[in-house]
Amino acid sequence: MSAKLRVSPGPHISQPLSTRRVMLDVLIGLVPAMVAAGVFFRVRGLVLVGVCVVSCVVTEWLCNLARRQPTSVGDLSAVVTGVILAFSVPPLLPWWAAVVGSVFAIAIGKMVFGGLGANIFNPAMVGRCFLTACYGLLMTTWMVPLTIPTEKPYAVMSQSNPDAITQATPLAWSKQAIKSKGQSPAGENVVPAADIVSGQLKQMAIGGVGGCLGETSAIALIIGGIYMLIRKTITWHIPVAMLGTVFVIGGITHLANPAAYVSPLAHLAGGGMLLGAFFIATDPVTSPLTKKGELIFGAGVGGLTMLIRLVGEYPEGVMYAVLLMNAVTPLVDRFVRLVPAGGKPSGK
Amino acid sequence: MSVNLLGRRTFPGGVHPPEQKELSADCAIAPGPQPKEVAVLLTQHIGAICQPVVAKKDKVQAGQKVGDAEAFVSAPVHSPVSGTVKDIALQSHPVLGRAMAVIIEADPEEKAKTPAADRFAADFDASRYSPEQIREAVRNAGIVGLGGAGFPTGVKLMPNKEYPINDLVLNGCECEPYITCDYRMMLEWTHQVVAGLMLAAKAVSAQKVHIAIEDNKREAVSRMREVLKAMGAKESISVVALKTKYPQGGERQLIRSLLGKNVPTSGIPPMINALAVNVATAAAIAEAVVLNNPLTHRVVTVSGLGIARRGNFYVENGTTVGEMAEFCGGLTEDAVKVILGGPMMGFAVADMSTPLTKTAGAITVLTEREVTQAKHAGETTACIRCGRCLEACPVNLNPTRIAHAVMHDRLEVAKDYFMSACIECGCCSYVCPANIELTGYIKTGKILEARAKKKMPS
Repeated sequence: MSAKLRVSPGPHISQPLSTRRVMLDVLIGLVPAMVAAGVFFRVRGLVLVGVCVVSCVVTEWLCNLARRQPTSVGDLSAVVTGVILAFSVPPLLPWWAAVVGSVFAIAIGKMVFGGLGANIFNPAMVGRCFLTACYGLLMTTWMVPLTIPTEKPYAVMSQSNPDAITQATPLAWSKQAIKSKGQSPAGENVVPAADIVSGQLKQMAIGGVGGCLGETSAIALIIGGIYMLIRKTITWHIPVAMLGTVFVIGGITHLANPAAYVSPLAHLAGGGMLLGAFFIATDPVTSPLTKKGELIFGAGVGGLTMLIRLVGEYPEGVMYAVLLMNAVTPLVDRFVRLVPAGGKPSGK
Repeated sequence: MSVNLLGRRTFPGGVHPPEQKELSADCAIAPGPQPKEVAVLLTQHIGAICQPVVAKKDKVQAGQKVGDAEAFVSAPVHSPVSGTVKDIALQSHPVLGRAMAVIIEADPEEKAKTPAADRFAADFDASRYSPEQIREAVRNAGIVGLGGAGFPTGVKLMPNKEYPINDLVLNGCECEPYITCDYRMMLEWTHQVVAGLMLAAKAVSAQKVHIAIEDNKREAVSRMREVLKAMGAKESISVVALKTKYPQGGERQLIRSLLGKNVPTSGIPPMINALAVNVATAAAIAEAVVLNNPLTHRVVTVSGLGIARRGNFYVENGTTVGEMAEFCGGLTEDAVKVILGGPMMGFAVADMSTPLTKTAGAITVLTEREVTQAKHAGETTACIRCGRCLEACPVNLNPTRIAHAVMHDRLEVAKDYFMSACIECGCCSYVCPANIELTGYIKTGKILEARAKKKMPS
């Protein structure tokens, strides 16, 4: 016997790919949106990202300590959660609220289930959901991009002043168009809500509209998404199913009544749709394992989002749609079964 | 047939590990070490274990039968050398751990057998042999599937009225990284390989004969075509280049790529009227039927960065791994794994006295650098349910579900996800970013299942 020889089952070689590398690729995919956030919401936006990332990582580390297990922050998944959480909150959110959301996201959304891989719900969305429940006003106060005073960028941050130059998001206008059934207020010479949204389409592509920190620039998110597709960090199934469903539903309603229902393009580029399609719904842990399951999942997220946006009370619904579909994922995995290439074995 | 976007025939799933064939591809088949002592294992095949037919201190001749079994599914073993039976004792076995072997001390004048150049010519005529004659010779020569499975070839060549064979496939894929023994045989012993294939076709009365080779072995493809042309082969025999992808040489994957049909999960290829024969097996068939030689030698690739000298050697059955390593200049300082077979499906051994079996076509010695990324070396993290293993599985299984079910002692769940259909190719472990030994767990699950059914001692 030779002492230095190792024995283990095959295969004895493997692909140079680790969970850390997968997470790193997601972070690289998020860089374009980060740049856009920096451009439109200045230092303030980047500080918010930093606060979320640091709180997420520290929370995970503390949870590891409490459970007396080896630290798991090295896999970078907490960093991803932090960035996505920051991207899905309004830029004006005070730092302490961001900390609360991050702690909840990691501690309750992930670690109580047993850490990475064991959580049922997307941790970032759990954190965001908690913030929406706790600080409804802060979570719906939007700022006009590029309006942060360059001299004292943090002035508004600590006091969370609702007087800061705020602006309705395109989806809020879209909701108003639906509520007014496409009718302009009588006698007044105002632009119909649906037309305001159409006028904002170009800015929605670039990112110069009101909205969550990392969600406003459609182009930046698409670039990041393409990077992840090329790196095979994600596959096309969830984004295509999700965006396709949204496009179809948005297209039909728009064709039926253009005054009440805005263009499907606005639905695709607005709110958290693209961030959701490429970075949130594609979270491997909380989405189905099979390709067919992923198609069902993506279509479900897209359909539920449109249900909320068009029929529900909220203007935006990606977060709830993702969380609801996360809850169904174990069921999807149970019912969408793969059959071996040679058919089921005899006797089954 | 299944054709991918570039028009190359292939199967769904699979992986593409670094080929590493260049390490030994240009090494012509050379004689192995001078035989001093060989340990011929009594079980080198699927089926009944052989009983020794010689006793301690008996004199044996090269090619003499030393072990046999009455059972239908079995294959006898023969002594590769002339010498004296030193002992019949337990020896290290690459797969089973320990097994009985006939240990033969070679006569001092015994020389390493020099592999003759191609002993066959273009004028070979398979029609001179009857199917019964071919099967008889194959069975007596102890030939088994030399690609690794070790199923007795004599049984495989039995005619079955229910499942007549339309397509006979010569498996020249050699999809395992590093291994080049089949490639060298196709280049150097082309006529012999083709002769064996013709004999197998005769034995099962195959309608069509295909020679399937991965398209990274272009020289073998053109050499085969050349020889077939010289032999004036009919249209019923063709050479097909398949996409280079692991496990293209898996019997089920090969047939799927070539014929576009799936072998039933709990069935065998004849059920879809197909049969596959490995290159080394075909060469052995020709030798057994025409030259009346039992299977006592085979070509073994010695490769990997962990060994001083690499090459393809003609080696006596029962030669130990240690002897081969010594013959090749010994292991390097940074060698960490000695594998019987290739790096994907081979068996790691720590006991250098393990004898080579009929199915061991390679000894791969890997260094720290080659296995750094591999399981066992790195840290295992939790499954992130990314689904890469599902995508890589050539059988379309859910490896992570099966492996985790086995891990948590829930065999009924593993069975529910078709654990038995797993071909243990290792693709799932290969792609797993969390570094989980998926294949290892599934293999364990199958063993636990067999024990539960009392098919296997615990």
